[in-house]
Amino acid sequence: MTLPRPLIALALTAVLAVLVSVVAGTAQTPKYGGVLVTHPLSATPSLSPHEESTVATTQQASPCFNNLVYFDPAKTQESVDTLIPELAEKWSWQDGYRNLVFFLRRDVKWHDGKPFTSDDVKYTFDMVRAAPDARARLKVNPRKLWFDNVEAIEAPDRHTVVFRLKRPQPSLLLMLASGYSAVYPAHVPLAEFKNRCVGTGPFKLKENKPGESVEYVKNPDYFVKGRPYLDGIKFVVIRDRSTQIAALQSGQLDVAGSGWNRTNAEDAKAGAAKLVMVERDSNVNDNVLINYKRPPFNDRRVRHAINLALDRQAYLIGPRQGAATFGGALLPKPAGVWGLPAAEVTKLPGMGDAAKQKAEARRLLAEAGFGPGKPLKLTVSTRQLAIYVDTASWMVDQLQQVGIEATLEQIDTGVWHPKMTRLEYQVALNLTGVGVDDADAQLFENYRCGSQRNFSGYCSEDIDRLMVEQSQTVDPKKRLALVNEIDRKLQADGARPILGWGKQYYVWWPHVKGWAVHDNSIYNVGRRQDVWLDK
Amino acid sequence: MRTYVVKRLLIAVLTLVGMSVVIFTLLRLAPGNITDIIFESAGYVEEGDRKRLEIELGIDRPVVVQYARWMGDLVRGELGKSYRYDLPAWAIIKPRLPVTLELAVLALGFSVLMGVPSGVMSAVRRGRPSDYVLRVLSLAGLSMPSFWLAMIVILVLVRSLGWIPSMTYVSPFENLGANLAQFVVPALAVGYRSSALIMRITRSAMLEVLREDYIRTAWAKGQRERLVVWRHALKNASLPVITLIGIEFAFLIGGLIVTETVFNLPGVARYLVDAIQWRDYPIVQNLTMLIATVVVLANLTVDLLYTWLDPRIKYGQA
Repeated sequence: MTLPRPLIALALTAVLAVLVSVVAGTAQTPKYGGVLVTHPLSATPSLSPHEESTVATTQQASPCFNNLVYFDPAKTQESVDTLIPELAEKWSWQDGYRNLVFFLRRDVKWHDGKPFTSDDVKYTFDMVRAAPDARARLKVNPRKLWFDNVEAIEAPDRHTVVFRLKRPQPSLLLMLASGYSAVYPAHVPLAEFKNRCVGTGPFKLKENKPGESVEYVKNPDYFVKGRPYLDGIKFVVIRDRSTQIAALQSGQLDVAGSGWNRTNAEDAKAGAAKLVMVERDSNVNDNVLINYKRPPFNDRRVRHAINLALDRQAYLIGPRQGAATFGGALLPKPAGVWGLPAAEVTKLPGMGDAAKQKAEARRLLAEAGFGPGKPLKLTVSTRQLAIYVDTASWMVDQLQQVGIEATLEQIDTGVWHPKMTRLEYQVALNLTGVGVDDADAQLFENYRCGSQRNFSGYCSEDIDRLMVEQSQTVDPKKRLALVNEIDRKLQADGARPILGWGKQYYVWWPHVKGWAVHDNSIYNVGRRQDVWLDK
Repeated sequence: MRTYVVKRLLIAVLTLVGMSVVIFTLLRLAPGNITDIIFESAGYVEEGDRKRLEIELGIDRPVVVQYARWMGDLVRGELGKSYRYDLPAWAIIKPRLPVTLELAVLALGFSVLMGVPSGVMSAVRRGRPSDYVLRVLSLAGLSMPSFWLAMIVILVLVRSLGWIPSMTYVSPFENLGANLAQFVVPALAVGYRSSALIMRITRSAMLEVLREDYIRTAWAKGQRERLVVWRHALKNASLPVITLIGIEFAFLIGGLIVTETVFNLPGVARYLVDAIQWRDYPIVQNLTMLIATVVVLANLTVDLLYTWLDPRIKYGQA
């Protein structure tokens, strides 16, 4: 008997499809075991995320902890739609987004064997919001502002927690999902987190050598069944970038790249072709601080002239070596959620024809009383770090092109923020990383009247009102429209002009699987429970 | 001799007290303190929080009180606590000391082993091709900054062998082989520069001694070259070389910052830079005092070695 040709072809295709799927399935089946070695951005001052503001801490502490909710590592863009449960099994908004109720998992244990309960959650966030009856006090509390809207935290039973808010704030969930918002055990003294870590996370601390390395082993009692895949994870602090590259190429590191620029990543790959290189956006921006309290910078024409003089294309080619994206006060789309539409970004000051914009800048300066006979003299202050100084030097050159007599001042990194907080500068170049890509985190911190991090002294009652309005707007579309409206006003006012948003790089060996990198945050992806080694 | 040593030790103590004042003052003159740095890294400054932290760390007190407290602690053998890590300063310094000591001793060993024989050979073969080759090598050693050489070594190793020394410290008590593999390359990189210096000093001292009458007499008596050169000439030429070795050892204890950074060795020199950046006063003050003590003791040891090398030298006599 002879089978018809189409039937044979169909059968062969089916067999092939099954084979391919089996092979592909086998290749993608995660393997258990192995210790992954990587380098963090730098040594972490402690293992207490609530007290630090460096990605070095979230990188090295996140494997130890859990949050109530977290951003799905597999989704590259963090948003309210990519939240996944961690310590909270589920959650529910009640009373028109005034109460946020978390229903906690019942099978979670701290690394020391004690059970996790709602009391731990209340303890942690009462401490962070500096509640009057908080049982512990953070020495340094950089994100107190995030939880400013929380009126009370209640724990009606061992497995339920209620956050009562002063006004609706849908984005509170996002703050709770940040790598900085880990839940601490109430029974462990806070001071111990300086050098050790008791969490509920996928990895238990094996050894912490302050300034040198942090090593974890698998937590066999982790509440997510089948995780983590790795037997351990080790962070080795390597200060020198060329040594980091050599360590990766020689196989001593499995993953590298934290703090690298494009050149570093390309150098690494050039020396070992098998390496996988990933370029992603990041929520760290280069911004210009113009001191609103000092004449003549309180004159909008002068601020606008400075903004126009800084040609963004030249910035991209020069200090950023082609690795940046343009936007306003919030990370632009598609990487970001709240940024201005692309069509509007191209019309922002500094984005147009360089010659025309510089001519306009000269005209505005002349209108404000400055010209060749009486040039505007100013100092561009910046932090004494290469990544700052490169861009600030470029700024000086750009400003000189419109007749501004600009000079560069490098400020010791130890007194940089105190000086900015006290507004002891004229014009400055700053870098700002935003913990969560959300309008509440970015706007309230950096633009609200009187905020500790509002380094330019910009203050607008209208903007403050809009900030509160967007914060309590539940409909995402309406909220986005409000956020865009705020951003437009901020750009028009020249409030902290944004030069661009930097890129981040990671390079790893092909045997590393599941190493997640997010487009709109560098802080919230450190759990590493899904990483495995194909060895 | 004993009087001399006692006198030198007393002077050493006075020197260290002077050093402590300098270290303490310079550190306070640097802009900002640990609280500034902590808040700087947090990206904001809450004056109330900062004040509380200053009180907790004791840096709100008058500078004189802070100095007196440090000196009092030192006399009692207490080094205080690291502000940054909230750990006893000694707990942080102790594991780092053997790393720097091992690197310094190995580097010095290499530099003596390479520098002295090549200096002697260069002097004895003066004007011959081998002299020129050795002089070029030593000039290269002096001209190449150690950080550059270290980076080149790393680059060459990874490109040619796909290997570099371990980035994680291996104690010799854990695994001697792995420890040596980790230290040999950096020690050679550092030792090369020192050996070039030692070679040049040995050469010039040897050339001077080789012109002395007693050496000519030794040659005239028909003594063997090995005896004349290595026993008579080198011993008398070794005073400046020993001085240099002492200075180099003292330099190496505190001057290995770049090498420790490039080869990722957790030694005291690299940590000192971190501690300065954090204005971690207890660590900086005590580490610097430790390095100063090593320098003073190295100088004293060199002085005492003089009497052994040249019996004509009598200390403590007019």
